[in-house]
Amino acid sequence: MKLPHCLVCFLAVASLLQSCAFSRGTLGDELQTDVIKTIQKGTTTKEELLHLLGAPDRLLALNGRDVFQYYRYDAKAGSLLLIALNFTRLSIKSDDLFVILDRDGVVEEVISSRRTEDLKFRFWPFGD
Amino acid sequence: MINGWKDICAFCLAAILGLSPLGCNVVRITLNRPITPADVAFIVPGHTTLADVVANLGAPDSITDSDTGLVATYRFLDLKYSRVNLGWLAKPWTPVDPDLIFSRTGLGVDAFEVLCDPQWVVVHQGFHRHLYRHPFHPYPFLQSRGSTDHKLPPFNGPAIMPSHGRGTIRSSDSSLQ
Repeated sequence: MKLPHCLVCFLAVASLLQSCAFSRGTLGDELQTDVIKTIQKGTTTKEELLHLLGAPDRLLALNGRDVFQYYRYDAKAGSLLLIALNFTRLSIKSDDLFVILDRDGVVEEVISSRRTEDLKFRFWPFGD
Repeated sequence: MINGWKDICAFCLAAILGLSPLGCNVVRITLNRPITPADVAFIVPGHTTLADVVANLGAPDSITDSDTGLVATYRFLDLKYSRVNLGWLAKPWTPVDPDLIFSRTGLGVDAFEVLCDPQWVVVHQGFHRHLYRHPFHPYPFLQSRGSTDHKLPPFNGPAIMPSHGRGTIRSSDSSLQ
């Protein structure tokens, strides 16, 4: 490719990128999958759970049992700022972990899911 | 060179059409991914367990206690905002900075709730606000259709419904009780 063509391409890309904005925000610590896998039902105690994951973000009471909820939010925003015509799209997803402890303080159930893995920057605000 | 009213009209029309997108802002904020009622059609009250729901929809956003069991709630949001400043049409011809703004916001907050008995079996399920996919009108003076009970559209056009990633629940035979 000749130099003028390279310059034109560079200017085109630069002019397109200068009107873009990428923003990202997170809330909470990342929930490590391998750490979650170490939580064993009927074995892991409340103390071990606190050692593994720290204090829960939310403590709930469920039928006389304690539920530790851990969550992490991830937000990605893409903006196309063309001065007079602006598009912005903000996508937010969360990872959640619920650990249900029985009356003796032993883990009874573990409910978890990771939704932030497929979170992408998007600019186009229309459609799904 | 402009010749006659025809060309003037054509020029004005082209200018209006060319400048009409100016001063536009379109913003969309989504919390979790939309799904259709087909995604929750697998839930059969009395048979489906919370483990099945979590395996398909992911972990809920909240679990709360109730007298008859627990309630798992999946929250979601699809906010749409548009703003058009028609004052931009006059900008090239006036020394002042005129504004004529039409703006509209649709919040689109909804939730899907699953009520389970103490054995983790789904008893009831449903959407909180029944938001269906009405078209979003940027024009602020147009009346939005409400989703009242007697005006609900057919159950084939979901508006904003959550799709959470697949989750895991380490279910066992033991119940919560």
